[in-house]
Amino acid sequence: MTSSIALPQDSDVSALIKDRASQSPLAVSVRGLQRRYGSRVVIDALDLDIHEGEFVALLGESGCGKTTLLRALAGLDLPDAGRIRAPERPSVVFQEPRLLPWATLSENVALGHETTVGRAGAARALAEVGLSGREEDWPRNLSGGQAQRVALARALVPDPALLLLDEPFAALDALTRIKMHGLVKELVARHHPGVLLVTHDVDEALTLADRILVMRSGRIAASFQPKNHTPQELRSTLLEELGVQSH
Amino acid sequence: MADVPSSHNSYVSSRQTRPSISKGALYRWLSWLVPVLALLLWEVAARIGLISPQVLPAPSNVAETALDLARTGDLFVHLGVSLLRATAGFVIGGAIGLVLGIAVGFSPLAQALFDRSIQMVRAVPFLAMLPLVIVWFGVGEVAKIFLVALAVMFPIYINTMLGIRQIDPKLMELAKVVGLDWTAIVRRIILPGAMPSILTGVRYALAHAWLALVIAETLATTKGIGFLAMDAREFLQTNVILLTMIIYAIIGVAADALVRFLESHLLSWHANYAKGEQK
Repeated sequence: MTSSIALPQDSDVSALIKDRASQSPLAVSVRGLQRRYGSRVVIDALDLDIHEGEFVALLGESGCGKTTLLRALAGLDLPDAGRIRAPERPSVVFQEPRLLPWATLSENVALGHETTVGRAGAARALAEVGLSGREEDWPRNLSGGQAQRVALARALVPDPALLLLDEPFAALDALTRIKMHGLVKELVARHHPGVLLVTHDVDEALTLADRILVMRSGRIAASFQPKNHTPQELRSTLLEELGVQSH
Repeated sequence: MADVPSSHNSYVSSRQTRPSISKGALYRWLSWLVPVLALLLWEVAARIGLISPQVLPAPSNVAETALDLARTGDLFVHLGVSLLRATAGFVIGGAIGLVLGIAVGFSPLAQALFDRSIQMVRAVPFLAMLPLVIVWFGVGEVAKIFLVALAVMFPIYINTMLGIRQIDPKLMELAKVVGLDWTAIVRRIILPGAMPSILTGVRYALAHAWLALVIAETLATTKGIGFLAMDAREFLQTNVILLTMIIYAIIGVAADALVRFLESHLLSWHANYAKGEQK
């Protein structure tokens, strides 16, 4: 990479990762991942490790391959080369809530886990996202933020080792987004999954992540740990990484 | 054949602001004015001999005929036989249409294999098959049920297939993410997602079934509403003929009410069908 970067990158984080690894197992491990659409290489020899309990944000311009990476981890997209070691069924929250309109909130939350979760588990998960008492309601009666909270409850109900968030707050209004950030932080702390958040929003990444990756041309171009930097510094560096000139 | 709703928006109800209750009630009563007046005029015209009873007997005469036939029990025997034929044909044709519709809507392979052939058969108006059906099955019950089943199959098939095609692919992706197997996908996503369209198909199918039954029952029969009409024609009993027409109409209305009932129960999740749970 030949970009001019103001801050030193946390390029040598292997020591840190080893440190973490001793505490919590890997949630996902990617080696040499490659994905092509025709002759265009979308993901190129990409390596990535995320530990359980670690919150990783993936920033990048549109078309940099970050959503393709998430879909590969979710098992929705088959890579052309490389190795992914991930839980068989990671949980995903998409940009849209994707609730079944013909199922009650309780049924939506338990979808696919009816035998293990049951009504009580679904009710508990809904309570966690502040929607207790709405078990028998229909999705059409929910606001955008509420619907996304149900999607979050559905994702956390199986207690996943890996949680994939594909711009889940992008369609929400600013105030709802701030509330959702707080909720996600709290829920991740409680359920302790490894999290990969794909986002456009630098401030969102700064608020939530333990580690911020910048993806460019199908590779991880830069990696930062917010705790090692002041937010202002990191913010302008990240914006620069993303091709936005900050002042 | 008008098997298919003319637009995707057939389920978007045009909700107008509700007029005040008294006005609504007034209009409701008013809507009965013309039919009741027509009936009265008809009765009077028949009584004073303006219309010959051979052409159009008085409504009261038709009502008496209905009572007579009901008293002897004949009416219910014929009605029962007709309903049985319609039900048998509907269940057989509906099941075939539903299974084919799900298969073709779901799988491109099934579509490649079956859809063209089905569309080819559909292009033949089912009444044009009547001579062939008689050659194959004679004029017995099988022929009648076959005709009804044939009439029912296509609207169910087409609307099931279209309903499945309209299901959001993002929900199918979700199904994959949460790990549903294909029976669960059919049960939890495909059937409920296609249900509005399937019920539209059921509505068309009921109308077609009825038409098929009327035709089928003009074939040699000794029982059924159609037989009642044919028999009455032999003896120029216009009052019985009128009665059979009215019975067909009532059953048609009842069938429509049945679909409405199904809609309000199966589609309670859908804003346009929800009753009394607006918030």
